[in-house]
Amino acid sequence: MNDHLEDHLRTALGHAAEHAPRAPGTLSARVVTRSRRRRVHAQALVAAAVVVLVAGGAGIAVRGTGTVDPAANPPPAPSAESTPGTPSPSDEPVAEVPDPVEKVWPEALWKIPAELPGGRKFQPQAFIDDHTLLLEAWKSFEKANAIYSYDLESHRVRKLADIRTPKGVFASKYTVGDGLIVWQTIDEADGDENTAPRTTKFWSIPVGGGEPTAIRMDRTLKGGADRLVVTGGKLAFSLERGGVFTVPLGGGTMEPVQGADRHHIVRWPWVGTPGRYAPDGAAVFRELFNAENGDMDEAVVRPGERNVRCGVTTCIGTRPDGRSTFFRLRDGSREREIPGQPFLEGLAADRFHAVHLPRPPGGQYLLDLATGRSGDLGLRPDADGGMISVIPGATDGRLVAYPVEDEYVIIDLARIDE
Amino acid sequence: MDDDSRFADFVAERADALLRYGYVLSGNPHDAADLTQETLIRLHRAWPRVHRKHDPESYARTTMARLHVSAWRLRRRERLVWDLPEGSHLDTLPSGVEQELWQALGALPRKQRAVLVLRYYEQLTDEEIAGVLGVSRGTVRSHASLGLGRLRSAVPDPAGTGTAGPAGPGPAGSTGPGAPNPTTTGGRTR
Repeated sequence: MNDHLEDHLRTALGHAAEHAPRAPGTLSARVVTRSRRRRVHAQALVAAAVVVLVAGGAGIAVRGTGTVDPAANPPPAPSAESTPGTPSPSDEPVAEVPDPVEKVWPEALWKIPAELPGGRKFQPQAFIDDHTLLLEAWKSFEKANAIYSYDLESHRVRKLADIRTPKGVFASKYTVGDGLIVWQTIDEADGDENTAPRTTKFWSIPVGGGEPTAIRMDRTLKGGADRLVVTGGKLAFSLERGGVFTVPLGGGTMEPVQGADRHHIVRWPWVGTPGRYAPDGAAVFRELFNAENGDMDEAVVRPGERNVRCGVTTCIGTRPDGRSTFFRLRDGSREREIPGQPFLEGLAADRFHAVHLPRPPGGQYLLDLATGRSGDLGLRPDADGGMISVIPGATDGRLVAYPVEDEYVIIDLARIDE
Repeated sequence: MDDDSRFADFVAERADALLRYGYVLSGNPHDAADLTQETLIRLHRAWPRVHRKHDPESYARTTMARLHVSAWRLRRRERLVWDLPEGSHLDTLPSGVEQELWQALGALPRKQRAVLVLRYYEQLTDEEIAGVLGVSRGTVRSHASLGLGRLRSAVPDPAGTGTAGPAGPGPAGSTGPGAPNPTTTGGRTR
């Protein structure tokens, strides 16, 4: 019977295939158009994601110590709302634009020149301390060749290290802790994931600068890490495909964190699953696991809700009506409606969200859900309608940095009081 | 001939075959079109490199299988670049057994279905399937065994119901021009 089943299966699949839709004659041209559009869009997105936000050091918060109360602060002032990038009809009222971020949170904001002395481009990556930024200088698009410190008080720039990577190897995910700056380099192999997996190495230098030292491991790490944290003499990292590991900062054995084989670092020691590219539209980080004490938590998700992204204390998502966005505690309490739409990356620090303004004038404002205050980021579409988007939840929530004209705006979310 | 012309030729020649493959992988025309479109967009972006390696078809088929079992499908979809005709695609399979199998395939987990499609539609060996999906051979065997087991439960005795008569399950010659033939190898619709 087994053979018959297999024969029937072959035949059924063959017959079924003949019922597939046919390709239109213009498919190639349409695909090429879409591919080119996506390339431009991807470059803009990469730029935005890279410029946007990178976490500061480890041990930022212990779960539950935050006092974000979703119900305590009503939605903020801006009244009109639209899908990002969707122009408003011209007869709609112009959006009410909040005050600029520098006026709303002057204690947390700096503006620095968008080029290093000598005209070199850079990307802010992390806070080294309360007033020092880590900058990555680029040789070409996304290709780092040096890292610098930038003192926001004295405006002094200092080179910390040269980064020499072969063709096809890219540095990323800088993190600071235990007096070190740590990052990964991913070897993209031949760029074809079908034939050669990417491999990852970790590097460190003292925060004062020095020659990069490899954190040698007992095995080759396949795939890239999505988050790195320095904690207690170790580097903890989670893989893009899931799984949390530690390795001593001086190098050694790569140890899996027990019980976290599907997890991603959310905010150490909290790790969560499913990750951002979860199957079946599952709520991101619905399950939390404390890598240090084994505590677990499962967030409440209601039927019909979509795009649910949870953090360590709160969740955001789209209500079953498909239009409105909710914000609430993980246990499902204190829910309220908020403006904007959930980003794939969720909120920064469980409380910061970015909302697109309708056009005109377009742009984005930063919304602090803990206080209800909001500030215009100062971004506006260019003549072609393109605009960098700030994604506050792109990492775990301290540094927001984005270029406006010839300056970089630097926001330290940790300085914004609840 | 420039890259775009070569890509256009490839799409003209192979898009229908990829759609057939996408259809048996996914089980419905919309997902088939979606999968094919996404794969062709990726293929276009990788074209100079893939074309140098002289095997865009293999790249496309591997990409489709991996996309199908990956999380890609659950991310926001792009609008299709063409309109699909409406209508049922399930009611014209020639035998009851085939219809039952087709329905039962629809209830399989995605990886099990992908393994069965690669084995019985693409006619790949388990080793080749392992390479395509980026998993071990043991995993392939396990998915295949579980998938076949489920099909066997859903269609308990295909041999007793459909091996004879004009409604039988596709003897060679009765199939469409691209349908795989159980008596030959190389069932991929080329």
